[in-house]
Amino acid sequence: MQKEPTTLSFDALVIGGGIAGGEAALNLASNGYKVIIIEKRLSLGGKMIMLSKVFPTLDCSACITTPKVSEISRHPNITIFTESDLTSVEKRGEHDFVAKVTRRPRYVVAEDCTACQLCEEACPVIVKDQFQYNLVGRKAAYIPFSIASPKVAAIDIENCTLCGACEKVCPPGCIDFTQEPRDYVITAKTAIVATGFKLYDPSNVPRYNYGEAKNVITSMQMERLLAPTRPFHTILRSSDGKVPDKIAYVLCAGSRDDSLGNPICSQICCMYSIKQAQLLMGALPMADITIYYIDIRAYGKGYEEFYEQAAGMGVRFVKGKIGRISEKENGNLTLRYEDLASGKLKEADHDLVVLSVGVKPNSEPAGLFTTHKLELDSLQFVKQSDPLLSPAKTTIEGVFVAGTATGPKDIPDSILSAGSASTEAICYLNQ
Amino acid sequence: MSTEKIMTVKILRDRRKVSDEVKENLKQFNKDKKSILTELGLGERTIAQLSTGTGIPRDKTMFLVMSLVKFGFVSVGSVDDNDEYFTYKLKKNEQN
Repeated sequence: MQKEPTTLSFDALVIGGGIAGGEAALNLASNGYKVIIIEKRLSLGGKMIMLSKVFPTLDCSACITTPKVSEISRHPNITIFTESDLTSVEKRGEHDFVAKVTRRPRYVVAEDCTACQLCEEACPVIVKDQFQYNLVGRKAAYIPFSIASPKVAAIDIENCTLCGACEKVCPPGCIDFTQEPRDYVITAKTAIVATGFKLYDPSNVPRYNYGEAKNVITSMQMERLLAPTRPFHTILRSSDGKVPDKIAYVLCAGSRDDSLGNPICSQICCMYSIKQAQLLMGALPMADITIYYIDIRAYGKGYEEFYEQAAGMGVRFVKGKIGRISEKENGNLTLRYEDLASGKLKEADHDLVVLSVGVKPNSEPAGLFTTHKLELDSLQFVKQSDPLLSPAKTTIEGVFVAGTATGPKDIPDSILSAGSASTEAICYLNQ
Repeated sequence: MSTEKIMTVKILRDRRKVSDEVKENLKQFNKDKKSILTELGLGERTIAQLSTGTGIPRDKTMFLVMSLVKFGFVSVGSVDDNDEYFTYKLKKNEQN
């Protein structure tokens, strides 16, 4: 039983181990600063590590993320706390931050685990795999996903039957059910907030029928279906195993709609939908793919060409606003939409509908800072105190922000923003 | 060594009670798994055929079959003439 929290000291505290947090940490560490990354989940890599490919180059996302994450994990100046909750950050003065962190037990001695997966094989329990967006099962003793970092097993204690099968078969004997949460007090001279974004939950919009109609899925579920580490052996409907051949994308699902609490453009949905459409045309050459859009926003380098390439491949673009998605008896779906070109209400049948869900703010970091106020903007993203000249500065001197914590961004912009945050942090450390 | 390994789960068993829901889920999964594997023992089946044969709803059958594929109990068979539905078979049949 831990009596007193363990105290550790670092130059920089990075909150969030996604691609932006990881990049910021790596920049600081490469400049000789000691960094700690606090990550809530079991693995680094954030949302990017779950993607199939990236736009507009169609490079394999895992092939880019894995070496980066591995570099972060192996860097001698970086300490990583996964499965950890940051409960508070206090600023006692300039270059003097104190954070309280609780590491949840993994019930596996990480240093001894060889990721042999024998515990997973032995575990009799199957629950929904959150890393595959509930499309397939996972065990209660499990490696989060094949490219997880650290690649270490964990026990989902909430779903564990305590049968002990994993412990019996573990060759190095690293399963340890006596592990308990451990508290830490971390002092740091600067902090970077890289807490990312949340995906819009389309079940808030009854007319999309998400959660009711089995063949209405989110774009993140489609990412998993397209990924090399996919939950199924090919692209299939999760309702009945049918190979879909008439797929619709509904853009701006939860974006650009004040009535849904998200008035802004999520910036990434047009391009990731076009990317997925191209990948689908490769995987299912006979499939018809239609993208229902309000406007196509292809603003980045090579994005317009990427859109034109999709249209050239045969992806159908329909300028239309979706009113309602209804399910037919055979699981197919009828989309009722306003055709913006003709101004008429129309209906179209599809056998799979993908909702291109938008970016929602993660307002959690605001509640972490106790002595000073980390302000949020009117949309609940982290407020940039000087968005034009110092976009990484927050309302707390010495606390910087990286990635999508300030608003929607694509991957290159998130990484650029992480570069900016780490540079600002280094300047602050040298003051 | 072995006794020492068993001990940690025993310690937690004394401190923590497994919920009835977790126990029930495991029981149900084992029942469903047995039904699916028994049905597949009769030959290759599509998800729809398995659902009809076992009485398990189609979407749940799909979830279970994909999980059984993932954990090595079931393998993918062939696709029908319309390239719409795959069949699934017992993995041990493939090896025989």
